[in-house]
Amino acid sequence: MPATSFPVAPRTDLRTAFFWIALGAAIVFESWRMDRFEQQGAELYTAPGLWPGVIGLLIALLGGALAWRSVRRARVNGWEAAEVDEAILVPASRFALATAMFFIYALLLVGRGLPFWLGTALFVTAFVFTFRRADRMSGAATGTNRGDAILAIVCGVATAVVIPLVFEQLFFVRLP
Amino acid sequence: MFDGLTAFGHSLASFLDPFSIGLILLSSLVGVIIGALPGLTATMGVALMTTLTIKMPSNQALLVLICTYVGAIYGGSRSAILLNIPGTPASAASCLDGHALAKQGLAGRAMGIATSGSVLGTLIGMFFLALFTPVLGDLALKFGAYEFFWLAVFGVIIAGTLTGDDPLKGWIAGLVGIICATVGQEGIYAYDRFSFGSRDLAGGFNLVPALVGAFGFAELMIAVREKAAPVRISAFDSVIPKLVDVAKYWKTILRSGLIGTFIGILPGVGEDVAAWSSYAAAKRASKEPEKFGKGSIDGLMAAETGDNACVPGAIIPVLTLGIPGSAPAAVLMAAMLIHGVRPGPMIMIEAPTFVYDVVAMMMYATIGILFYGLTLTNVLVKVLMVPKPVILPIIFVLCVVGSFAISSRLFDVWVMLGFGVIGYVLRRLGYPIAPLVLGIVLGDLMEKGLRRGLVLSDGTLLPFFTRPISALLWITIVVVVLMKFPVVRGLFRRGTVARAE
Repeated sequence: MPATSFPVAPRTDLRTAFFWIALGAAIVFESWRMDRFEQQGAELYTAPGLWPGVIGLLIALLGGALAWRSVRRARVNGWEAAEVDEAILVPASRFALATAMFFIYALLLVGRGLPFWLGTALFVTAFVFTFRRADRMSGAATGTNRGDAILAIVCGVATAVVIPLVFEQLFFVRLP
Repeated sequence: MFDGLTAFGHSLASFLDPFSIGLILLSSLVGVIIGALPGLTATMGVALMTTLTIKMPSNQALLVLICTYVGAIYGGSRSAILLNIPGTPASAASCLDGHALAKQGLAGRAMGIATSGSVLGTLIGMFFLALFTPVLGDLALKFGAYEFFWLAVFGVIIAGTLTGDDPLKGWIAGLVGIICATVGQEGIYAYDRFSFGSRDLAGGFNLVPALVGAFGFAELMIAVREKAAPVRISAFDSVIPKLVDVAKYWKTILRSGLIGTFIGILPGVGEDVAAWSSYAAAKRASKEPEKFGKGSIDGLMAAETGDNACVPGAIIPVLTLGIPGSAPAAVLMAAMLIHGVRPGPMIMIEAPTFVYDVVAMMMYATIGILFYGLTLTNVLVKVLMVPKPVILPIIFVLCVVGSFAISSRLFDVWVMLGFGVIGYVLRRLGYPIAPLVLGIVLGDLMEKGLRRGLVLSDGTLLPFFTRPISALLWITIVVVVLMKFPVVRGLFRRGTVARAE
């Protein structure tokens, strides 16, 4: 069977388990506060909070089971066993930068008054240039600053032209 | 029987106009490329194409989606063989023997085997799609609220049990999906749940942006986080499938086709499990099991036949029960709903020819992958060489555009981002995503089933446990769950040994 990409240490599982217990409890609490429409003669089993309450309870229970299991596993293998091999990952700063660029594009460059094609061209060009350069610096790619800049601009302009053309003109889909 | 064949003939003919043929060629190509590119999956491909085809007539839109789906599952084998990186999770099993064959200088033959296995697998699945859907549709008409409740629970439990390597985490992911489905107005009193005063949240989460986030954006983040494997493409010989391979391994093809279709029918389980199960069955049945993992044609044929047979199999429960058999099928089901097709037990009554339209679409998708299997190798090799920093921002732009396109709301873009982050964090923590998606898709059906059932039975839970089909379903669920507890498995094993003695 396929394994998950990221093996997880019992310590991480225990922390997540506490999160599930807290989330489950919060859901149960919120479901309990929901209107039960008793003044309209409604039966308890039709209450809007019944189903989410049951699910919240189950999340908390399974969170408890996960906590119990992580403690048992930690007793056998230690708290830090089976953590992910950092060698397969890029530095966290690079990941954070990429994620920040994704969010800036989706939250600030799109649908906020800037023309879609311009926001898209800026995002794609900046992304391609930044990460091609980072690949070059880490020895994962070859090339020059000038070459990467040309590639980035070509990608940015092409995306900004082709996507509106295909979505709006060919398939009549509205863009942000 | 003859009515079915006539309807199938009509459906085949209805797609023989130049525009539809163009769509088949284009969407199969898009599917194969998406499948071949590591980090882009069939689910993401179908979700993105759903948004692109939103204004098209329903049959042509679904034709595009099915061709993309079939193409992507097939395309994954290319990178598995040439790069030893599965293009989609469904191709992971193909890496073992496909790349081993490539290292022996037989990459072309391996690709030919993948093509013949995928084509025959899809055809076997398609046969059962045409055969079983009307029968299961009739059976599904007997289902009431109680049965649908258990069926939806069964889907989430099975997906949680089989799609990852940790059932407990799979079940938690499923519950998180179900709770996400409760956000917004509920069905009886129109009461806003978990909306915290937001009008957008009161409308609930649109399915497509949630799926684009959980599969598209989350996978992009995973691709950004992981170092790119160096691209070293093996040299390859002729990619034309050899008849001798098909003739020699016909038992493997038939067995894997049946296993793939059956696993496709199981709610939410999907192509990766189908490929691994077919691979394991072929290894058990083989006279040369020691060759598996070292370039076994039998093994590659089994994996490729199994995962592609799963595609039509996964559509069977969509059409008959309104329950998806895999994650891409969940998106396909969402697309059907967007296009005004109501999949479920009534489909054979409301749109009896639609099932044959889907079979015909599957047939054309098969022709599409056969065409590209024979012709596309060199182009695909060039696509595989495109660096990750070029592909990722373009795919992200498509995720944003796709989420917005469904109802022209920026809120849907935020939903996509939110589910992307949830999907990424869950993946990093070892939680499978398929149960989460099944939870989102089936949560509503589950709740409606429970509340309707309780209203019908005046608040008693008894019919949920005593009606024959319900009883069969809940007992199966309990057995599936209990068998995941080591104590119960131990007791069962001891009992079997004692009986044998």
